[in-house]
Formats: sequence, C-alpha cells, structure tokens
Amino acid sequence: MISKRLKCPKCKYEVTIEGNPGEKVTITCPSCNAKGAFTFPGDKPAGDFSIQINGLTKMFNGLKAVDNVSFNVRRGEIFGFLGPNGAGKTTTIKAMLGLIHTDSGEIRINGFDAIKHGKEVKNSIGYLPERIAFYDNLTPVQTLNFFCELKGADKSVVKPLLKEVGLEESIDKKVGNFSKGMLQLLGIAQTIIGNPSVYILDEPTSGLDARWVKIVRDKIKTLNEQGATIMFSSHILSEVQSLCDRVAIIDKGKLVAEDTVPGLNKLLKIKPRLEIYISDLNGKIPEVISQIEGIDAVDAKENVLFVTCDYSVRIKVVTALEKAGFQIKDMKTIDPSLEEAFMKLLFKDGGAN
Amino acid sequence: MGSINQKSIYYIAKKEFMDNIRNKWIILLTTLLFLLVIVFAYLAYVQPEQPGNSMDMTQSTAVGLMGISSMLIPLIAIILGFSTISGEAESGSFSVVLSYPVTRLEVLLGKFLGLGSVIVTAVLIGFGFAGVIITAAAGGDSWLGYIVFMGLTILLGLIFLSLSICISALCKKRITSIGGGLIIFFWSTIIGSVFMGILYGSGYSFDNLMTGNMPDWFWCESFFSPADLSQAAVMRGFGMNEINSMGFSATLPDFLNIWSALFVDLLWLIIPLVLAYFFFKRRDI
Repeated sequence: MISKRLKCPKCKYEVTIEGNPGEKVTITCPSCNAKGAFTFPGDKPAGDFSIQINGLTKMFNGLKAVDNVSFNVRRGEIFGFLGPNGAGKTTTIKAMLGLIHTDSGEIRINGFDAIKHGKEVKNSIGYLPERIAFYDNLTPVQTLNFFCELKGADKSVVKPLLKEVGLEESIDKKVGNFSKGMLQLLGIAQTIIGNPSVYILDEPTSGLDARWVKIVRDKIKTLNEQGATIMFSSHILSEVQSLCDRVAIIDKGKLVAEDTVPGLNKLLKIKPRLEIYISDLNGKIPEVISQIEGIDAVDAKENVLFVTCDYSVRIKVVTALEKAGFQIKDMKTIDPSLEEAFMKLLFKDGGAN
Repeated sequence: MGSINQKSIYYIAKKEFMDNIRNKWIILLTTLLFLLVIVFAYLAYVQPEQPGNSMDMTQSTAVGLMGISSMLIPLIAIILGFSTISGEAESGSFSVVLSYPVTRLEVLLGKFLGLGSVIVTAVLIGFGFAGVIITAAAGGDSWLGYIVFMGLTILLGLIFLSLSICISALCKKRITSIGGGLIIFFWSTIIGSVFMGILYGSGYSFDNLMTGNMPDWFWCESFFSPADLSQAAVMRGFGMNEINSMGFSATLPDFLNIWSALFVDLLWLIIPLVLAYFFFKRRDI
C-alpha cells in the first residue's frame, strides 16, 4: 500500500489517498465534494512482496561489492539482512534507496521500480542509515519538522515522536551537541515520519544502551504488528533471531542463504543440543551413549552431559542412560541458534578458528 | 531531470539557511565586514578632499571596500559551500535526506538558494546598514551606485558559492574539498600570475605595467577571475574608467564594461552549478 498527496483541482484542498500500483482510486474532495479518480503508477503488481530484488550487481573499482543478489521480502514480515563487515549489506540497502548507482539488476518496492519511480518509492520508506548525522545548528524539533515537510507529513507528530524516543528533554538543544545514542534515537524518530509501509533499518540498535535497545526492539515489533514490513541488518544475531520471521545472509557480495532460522538450521543440518544433568557423572562420557545411532557430538563437563542430536533421538538417549543406572536430575534442549547457522555458512570450520 | 517540486526546494533552502546562518565563522566574518565598512566610511568622511578626486563619500567608501569585499565575500561563500555535498555525503546526513522523496536536482537547487540567502543576509548586514548611514551623511546621489556595488558583491558571493558547491560535488572527501576551496580562494592570484608571466614573456616590463601601457588582451584576465571582474564592474557601476592606485595608473578598455562583466559573471555562476549537478547526479552516496 502506498500513499499519495493530491490537490483538489477545484478548491486546492490537499487530500491523501492510498492504493497499490496500477490501482484506480475514486476520490471525493472533503472540502468541495468534487469527484475525481487517480490511478497509481507502477507496471507490476506488488503481490505478496514489499521488496523484490532481482540480480542486483554493484561494482566498485572493478570489484563486485554486490554480485547478482536476489531476494524478496514479504509484506508484513520482519526480515533480517546479515553478513560480516564489508559483505555488501549497506551497499544493497543503499541501492534500494537510489543512493548508489547499480550496474545491473532490478529493485522493486511495493511494486514500483525504485529507479524509475524514486519519489513514490521513497514516500513509502522509512530509512535509518548505519552512520547517521543531522544538521548541527538545528534543534531536534526543527530537524524533524524539515523531514515532515519533505514527506508532506503533519508536523504535529514531531513532539510526540521525540517523547516516544526519549528526547523530550533535549528539544531545545542543538543536534550538534547530541551523543551518538541520541542521534540514533533521533534517526529512529525520523523513520516513523509519514507512517511508511516499509522500514529499512541499518543497525538500528547501534550505539544504544540496554534500556533503549529494548525500546527500539519493542518499537520494531509494534510497527510490524501495525502492518509495516521491516528489513533490518544487525551484528547482534540474537536480536535478529528474536525479531525476524526470515533472514538472508550475504557474504563477499553474494547471497548465501535466505530462509527462516529453523529452515536454515535444517538446511545446514544443525541439530539441537541436549543438556542432561546427572548425579556423579564427574566429567565422564557414559559408554552407553556410543551405542546410540544419530548422535552428532557428545561431551561431558562435571555433572553435565552435552549431546548434539535430532529431537527424535532425545528419548533414546534418556532411556539408555536410565537403563544403564544413571540418575538424571534435570535436562533441557537448546535449540540451534542463528549464530551457529551464520558461522557454519560463512566459515567452513564453523567459526572455531 | 524529471519534474521539479518547488516546495521541496524551498524546504531545503529554508533548512540550509537556518542551519548556516548560525555558523560561527559566518557570524564572525559578517561582523568583521560590518566593522570594516564603518571604518572605511569614517575614513572617507574625515579625509581631506583631494584635487582631481571627483568621488563623493559613498563612492570613496565603495571603491575602498572593493578589495575587502572581494576577499571576505568569497571566503564566506567558500566556507558555506566547500563541504556542502562532500561533507554531508561523508557524515551520513545525505543518506537520510536522499531517502526522502526529493531529487538530487531539488537538493542542489535548495542548497544553492539557502546558502545564497545566507550570503545575501551577510552582505545586507555588512554593507546595507552602513550604506544607509553613509548615504544619509554624504547626502549625495550615488546611492544607486552603492546599490549596484552591493548587488555585484552579492553576485560575486553567489559565483564563489556556485564554484565551491561544484568542487564539493566533485570531491569525494571533505578534506579534498578544503584543498579545492583554497584553489578557488587564491584563483585571482593564480590566474593573475599566469597573465603576468605571459605579459613579461611577451617583452613588456614592470614600468609598462605601472603606467598602464599594456595590451588590451591583458585585461581579459578579468574575465578569468570573478573577483577582478567584480572590481571592474563596480568601477563601471560608479562611472569610473581609470584606475589610480599606489602609483599604478590604467584606463579600462571599452570591452570591459558592466554588461560584458555581467554576462561573464552569469557564465561563472551557471556553468559551475550545471557541472555540480552533473557530478552530484553521478555520485554514490
């Protein structure tokens, strides 16, 4: 869904309408009751996708920073975009916003070609760059007012927004005196201006203390619950795992995976880990374990036995231990993490070295 | 280029004005300009009338201020413009602005108009207030010439702004833009030295130069230097044809008149701005 501000040709009253690319919307002016219609431009229906990237390539000085990258972000999902430093995450994101020129490929946001229909695309996007800066001599109110003007948004949202991100006590300060964390919070506030349907957040919790990290994560969840599509990159893999419906991993400019976290682990055959607390184990691995099929790895430390195996093998392990006379005091299953998948994908040794 | 949204240009210009009018360097230089105008006006007021000098107080002040304005106004313009693109691209603020529904042309025009407004304000504060006092005190009818002088000073500022924005769009980093800004600031000296070298190489001596006995082509140097061109235009604006300063005497050639000066000034204004758009449009942010 995209929005468009139109002026009534009769009375010049401004109205905001919403629709999808190619959709014809009938409008009745609230001021003079004049009737009209507007067809949203866009030559391809967006379908289920908010973001469609196809064969994106970008070269810097003859080197491919982004190499034939393709992925789709579904409408209303939280999508994590991961990769080590210099992998091509920020370059891909900047290409989506037309900040850099691409060598080949197609980018569609809400069905619009991001290059041909730059203004329509940007109207529906809230973007937080990795490295953020504003204007030193302006106050946060003046800064957000400026962004409201650029997006044709109502300025009355500015003060509540600043309150929401905890900057209400700094509204008279010059932005030049802000700390990195405060700039990040102001950056987050500006993404919300105009209620975009797509958020692209590059390291949204970077530079924030624990309290604000939680507030930002909650805000991401709230925006998503309200229907927004959110694509974000982060180095904090636990954050991505807890927030994202799906993830894409990019390395050396190439997309190496795109799936849900459980889907990735299944694909990479990463199994859960069983932690079994046994009386008098004393760091020794019971012999009975070696007779069970389907165990990937086993280790023991003091009175805890660690067994990496499929969920279906767990019961065999527990039964065998009990039959062998071991007294199980407690046990828990640790699901495979995104970090393990990430390490396995990017490093052949799983990041051990 | 696509359609231009005038509102976006206005919003960007307003933001640039609000941000830069509070720049400490601009405040300092404008104050200096204001004080120097007062000092010059006072000196012009108290100096005894010299035989053969037909200039009134306003004219004397304006001519005396030419040298200072052709140094301070370009400096203000360069401070405003040298990092306006390279600096914002480097800091990250462009990433935010250009993610909004604005085109690069709108951003460039907004920046030029906003920063240009700061120059207009600096000239009006620096020269305008003093001009009113001087004209009232002198009671002459050369206020029109003083307004032309102020207009030409604003034009000079806008030319240097256009040049520094062009350099800023061309340079990838802020630090290289500083080098570009310095080259622009010393451009008059550089181009003047080149023409002097050619003059001496063609067999002319220092004495020829001081007595104004030099070829017409030498005056073409003014067309290559906006600051020198502005000085020539100010003289023409006050109806003066001769330069008499520190033992140097020369008569301006006919082709160096206010109209030719204005035409070349406009080229100096527009061409760098067009080039700036060309560089900015191709730039990766």
